[in-house]
Amino acid sequence: MNTFHQSIRRSIQNENLQQALDANTERRLKGRIAALASLSNWPERRQRAHAIRADVIAHLDSYLGQFISNAEKNGIIVHRAKDADEANKIILEIVNHVGADGHPPLQKLIAKSKSMVSEEIELNHSLEKAGHHVVETDLGEYIVQLRKEKPAHIITPAVHLRRSDVGKLFHEKIGIPYTEDIPTLTNTARKILREVFLTADIGISGVNFGVAESGTFCIVTNEGNGRMVTTMPPVHIALMGMERIIPTLDDLALMLSLLPRSATGQKLSVYTQFINRPLNPSASLRAGNQKRHLVIVDNGRTRLRNSPLQESLYCIRCGACLNACPVFRELSGHAYVGNDGSIAPYPGPIGSIVSPGLLGNNFVHLAQASSLCGACKDVCPVGIDLPKLLTRVRAGETQNQGNGLDPIAKFSLQMYSRIARHPRLFSVSQKFAALATFLVSPFSPWIRLPAFTGWGYSKDFPRFASKPFRERFQHKKINSVPESEVSRLRMQSQETLQSASNIKDKVEKFSEELTALNGNVRRVMQENLNDELIKFLREKNVDAVMIWDKVSGVDEAYLTAAGIRSERSGDANIKVGITGATSAIAETGTLVIASAKDQPLTTSLLPEIHVAVIKSSKILETLEEVMKLDEIKSSASIALITGPSRTADIEMTLTIGVHGPKELMVFIVE
Amino acid sequence: MKTAQLFITCLVDSFFPDVGEAMVDVLTSAGVDVEFPHDQTCCGQPPFNAGLRAETRPMAEQTIRVFESAKGDVVIPSGSCAHMIRLNYEELFADDPVWLPRAKALASRTFEFTEYLVDVLGVTDFGAHWDGPLTYHPTCHLHRGLGIDRQPKELLANIHGAQIIELPEVQDCCGFGGIFSVEHPELSAEMLKRKIGNLEKTESPTLVVADAGCLMHIQGGLKRQKKNQRVVHIAEILNSK
Repeated sequence: MNTFHQSIRRSIQNENLQQALDANTERRLKGRIAALASLSNWPERRQRAHAIRADVIAHLDSYLGQFISNAEKNGIIVHRAKDADEANKIILEIVNHVGADGHPPLQKLIAKSKSMVSEEIELNHSLEKAGHHVVETDLGEYIVQLRKEKPAHIITPAVHLRRSDVGKLFHEKIGIPYTEDIPTLTNTARKILREVFLTADIGISGVNFGVAESGTFCIVTNEGNGRMVTTMPPVHIALMGMERIIPTLDDLALMLSLLPRSATGQKLSVYTQFINRPLNPSASLRAGNQKRHLVIVDNGRTRLRNSPLQESLYCIRCGACLNACPVFRELSGHAYVGNDGSIAPYPGPIGSIVSPGLLGNNFVHLAQASSLCGACKDVCPVGIDLPKLLTRVRAGETQNQGNGLDPIAKFSLQMYSRIARHPRLFSVSQKFAALATFLVSPFSPWIRLPAFTGWGYSKDFPRFASKPFRERFQHKKINSVPESEVSRLRMQSQETLQSASNIKDKVEKFSEELTALNGNVRRVMQENLNDELIKFLREKNVDAVMIWDKVSGVDEAYLTAAGIRSERSGDANIKVGITGATSAIAETGTLVIASAKDQPLTTSLLPEIHVAVIKSSKILETLEEVMKLDEIKSSASIALITGPSRTADIEMTLTIGVHGPKELMVFIVE
Repeated sequence: MKTAQLFITCLVDSFFPDVGEAMVDVLTSAGVDVEFPHDQTCCGQPPFNAGLRAETRPMAEQTIRVFESAKGDVVIPSGSCAHMIRLNYEELFADDPVWLPRAKALASRTFEFTEYLVDVLGVTDFGAHWDGPLTYHPTCHLHRGLGIDRQPKELLANIHGAQIIELPEVQDCCGFGGIFSVEHPELSAEMLKRKIGNLEKTESPTLVVADAGCLMHIQGGLKRQKKNQRVVHIAEILNSK
């Protein structure tokens, strides 16, 4: 039995894992369906998204060129790596040079947010070998890093674990008393990782989308760690697969309407960041100019693009195909192993195509682990024909057909093909098989085959019919059915039209959406704003706030008179951060905050409670409208905030308050 | 009068000839003249799905040759075989200027059985009777691959006396997948277990499918588990009076 079959058996026999995977499947599938129901035209959006991705991959060189040139104009330092080794070398070079003008510590502390490309190139291994300390800051990634494992799912890295596993792990590795309380576990990670964010020399993140027309790159997270690693350390390195490009900001709005809904069942992830430039020195908590590097990785993508598997590059890594796949549901990512026993960087349906596509023959047999049921294609937000691509992996790119097939199965199918080419041979074989199966099982039409045959592992096999249909067929004369009789039976089709839903007031809609995500909203008149603010701060027992230089409508002198001290930047002990907002999105309950010299992003990120003040007139209906605002292109970094920070990394249980604020209060000024 | 060419499929031919006879009766009752080209064998789906394209080609060519000379539409009692001809032949012959147009011509006149009854003939009620509960399992290549789901449901809704019970997790694959069920017996077994478990939840003694592969798979699993439920092809239901 080969390594893949062994790992399949191990997964199926692991009761704990099976329960964890069932919970993931049920929750993710339901969440996805509910979130897509809020999009009126999802099939049409999927078609558009497919067309955009197809166009990008067809003209990748020119879009990538445009993206790089714009990013460089924006002050991003762009590097290109042809393979994993080169990417690791480039990053190591950057890391080694950080702080070289001062007193460089030999060992750098690196805060890392989730990046599947970093798994693909085994970046952590390379950095650790060079003596650096890398800390994964996504809760799920942090857990699997402590366990010295790889992520078991591209979106939910600790999908294979239950709360008791995490409790034991934190007890053993961190030394806290054993607990199964998920908020306690999350809070423990928050405290440890907060220290990492504040002291890290370098932040490393992935990239969800690069926008060609503006050089913007977009990063989507829920916990706030993505914002931390791109905001706090003086150096940020973003790692991106070269196919991750889309042409315009409008296209980005479309992709963002599909990605979080498909991935986690959210209308928008809590934090959606658009990064244009390095942060202004005064905007960052730490001194000095922020440097932003972008490392664009090929590592087999060009080869994939020139192969029959090209369509797999359309993927936006939402993980929906993993959740929908009945095979992944039995396995988890750790069971997708190569011939050499190594775990494929990308599991599930898409992984069974791109892992062999990028990394070669070692993973080609993964594509046989599919019944081609098409559940993956059904949920794919960019309409990738995954079953077709799986059969292409199986067919191989050269003469080597039937890739990854068991030799006996292959031989049997070759024999069958020889027989089925010749009708007479086919007919004779049927008779022979009927006789043989009758001799094997004279008393029952179903045969109990032994398990080693594969089929006999879980089912009986039917006897061949002693008289096949081809011998039974007799041409039947039609007892002329009167035409009137046929037409009587004709069906009548009816189409029901969906009635258009009534459009709610934008403020109402915004409040409703945000409240559903555990955010809070208070609607106030301008003349009452400052009193309401003070009232809120007193409720929270707060006498000091971190606040922007100027927040429209907020009178700092009035706050001071009420005994509330204000600070410009971070003292880690300040509990409340008060900001304005550039805009807001009604349909998703999202705040849009663009960074500027006197509007640091840290104010909405570091304190436990984030208070935002926005005029009701600034609330827009959709993300598409927000994309047209000047700030989206002109600001160094834009944070779209949809509720307080959250995670579901432990047992899919929603926990509020990870790395970002635990509470979000929005004052809407009428 | 319409003439239809029956592509019976290797599985119905070899294992379930009763299904073929029921299908002929149903089509005939709707005024269709049914013909059966005797040189037909197998569409080539098993080697195609396994990745053996060189082995698939001669089987697909054989099938195209047999049916292109016969008149009228081609009707198939199996979603996955119809899917093979309608969609996969185009993939198989994509670079072949001679066979691609021939494959497309066949694809354009090939119909799955329930689709043919409802969309081509426009008949949804065959006056069939069935006493008791029926549960329908939409097979993957039929409902996701070809988008045929409304048609079998309309046909079942018109079975007199039958009570249709919805299968939980109805869209899940039964774990057949051709060579997959042999190549990955453990995975296939888990999926089958789930399907049979869901069937038991309905308490329906009869599961209806429109694909002989899935029929053989689920029935084989029920037999192994010594369960009494029966898997029946929709043609047999439509032909029961």
